[in-house]
Amino acid sequence: MTTEAILYIANPDVSYREEEDGAILFNPDTDEVLVINVTGQLVWQALARPMSCGGIAAALIAQCENVPQDQVAQDVDEFVAELLGRGFAGIYEGAA
Amino acid sequence: MSPVSLPPVLSAPLSVDIAITGRCNLHCGYCFYADEMVALRDLPGERWQAFFVELGQLAVQRVSLTGGEAFTRPDLFELIDGVVANRMRYNILSNGTLITEETLCQFEAGKRRQRLDYIQVSIDGSRAEIHDKSRPNSFERAIRGLRLLVEARFPATVRVTVNRYNVDDLENVARLLLEEIGLPAFSTNEAEPGGMAKRQADEIALTPAQRRRAMAVLPALAERYNGRINAQAGPLALAREFQFLEDCVADGLADLPGRGTLSSCGGVFSKLAVHHDGTIVPCHWLPSLHLGQIGVDDLQTIWREHPVLDKLRCRRTIPLHTLPTCRDCPYASFCRGGCPGQALLLTGELDVRSPMTCYRLYRERQRLSPVEKVVV
Repeated sequence: MTTEAILYIANPDVSYREEEDGAILFNPDTDEVLVINVTGQLVWQALARPMSCGGIAAALIAQCENVPQDQVAQDVDEFVAELLGRGFAGIYEGAA
Repeated sequence: MSPVSLPPVLSAPLSVDIAITGRCNLHCGYCFYADEMVALRDLPGERWQAFFVELGQLAVQRVSLTGGEAFTRPDLFELIDGVVANRMRYNILSNGTLITEETLCQFEAGKRRQRLDYIQVSIDGSRAEIHDKSRPNSFERAIRGLRLLVEARFPATVRVTVNRYNVDDLENVARLLLEEIGLPAFSTNEAEPGGMAKRQADEIALTPAQRRRAMAVLPALAERYNGRINAQAGPLALAREFQFLEDCVADGLADLPGRGTLSSCGGVFSKLAVHHDGTIVPCHWLPSLHLGQIGVDDLQTIWREHPVLDKLRCRRTIPLHTLPTCRDCPYASFCRGGCPGQALLLTGELDVRSPMTCYRLYRERQRLSPVEKVVV
């Protein structure tokens, strides 16, 4: 479960490349690839610095018009949980 | 007008094959890289390290470290650390003779072992008298290196290059590698007429009769060992491809998606190669098509805009039935034209089919009757 209090950050070992129809994350430690859409790209870019799921959702809502806030929050929670579970992102343990 | 659409060009290659050295401690009879080795000089480590930074910035995912013999480079592990630091994975193609306990210990530092996809060792016979004919004075050391890799649970693979000396030893090779040494699988190809093999073709290249024999033996061995023998080129791949062509004709198909054009090579859509002097080429099998120089030319610009790469990618829009060699071929609708490197090497042209993988030519050379099947 992800919560507001926890800060997340992109795994610095993961490479990121933008292609015509989305972006590709590659975790060289696990040899896993994750293809992400435009929304996923925005989340990934937000994770360049420590961010909570709530913070990411707020940033997304600010950038997108007419999006249901509850749905965005749920989608961010699920996507960050996937990134976390597959080693593409981690929990930030430094000082916020 | 071709019905074939080209896939979008990626922002950068996904992988790069890098000959980190031209030096080799062996002198193999079919080395395709021999001519380049003689003529060019190795780059210093710092040039490779700067190149790895460029690859990392482009999010290239993996490199293949080859040569020459990669383990002759004194700074090999520094180069591996450069690959790791730039968020990539790697594999090493080796003759295996320089792999020792000490070498393997060095893989334990940092993420060297974690990022290693595999180490491929070349084995060309089940015993020294056979292996050493194409890879002189190296069997015992190569097998020792391979056994060390397997015992230490490294991801080890083997490539067997089928040639005139080992074509009748393939069953013994399979037994050695899969039963005695316990490899999960190995792959095969064929001594092709490039590099030294071009000059020594009469000594090392398969005769038509030998190729046919290998094309019968290898599929049977692959079946006996439950698919643990594989190939992307050479007799086993040819046998499967030719059988596929026969099946298509027998089934009365008109055409098949992705076939019927010069579509065999997907490499130009995902990878590049670099000679040990830093010359960027589409593939080590297209060694004369120079695209630029690492550290001088921008790799992404080459990848996206170089006219030679564009020409190679556009090969797959050329219907085989428009080529003089294929116009009336019954297999043209299902064929993919073979390796462009072979085509260029053997004909001097790029937009032609490879004579080495042409089924009709094969049948003519084997003097097969019109109803005779190539694979039984």
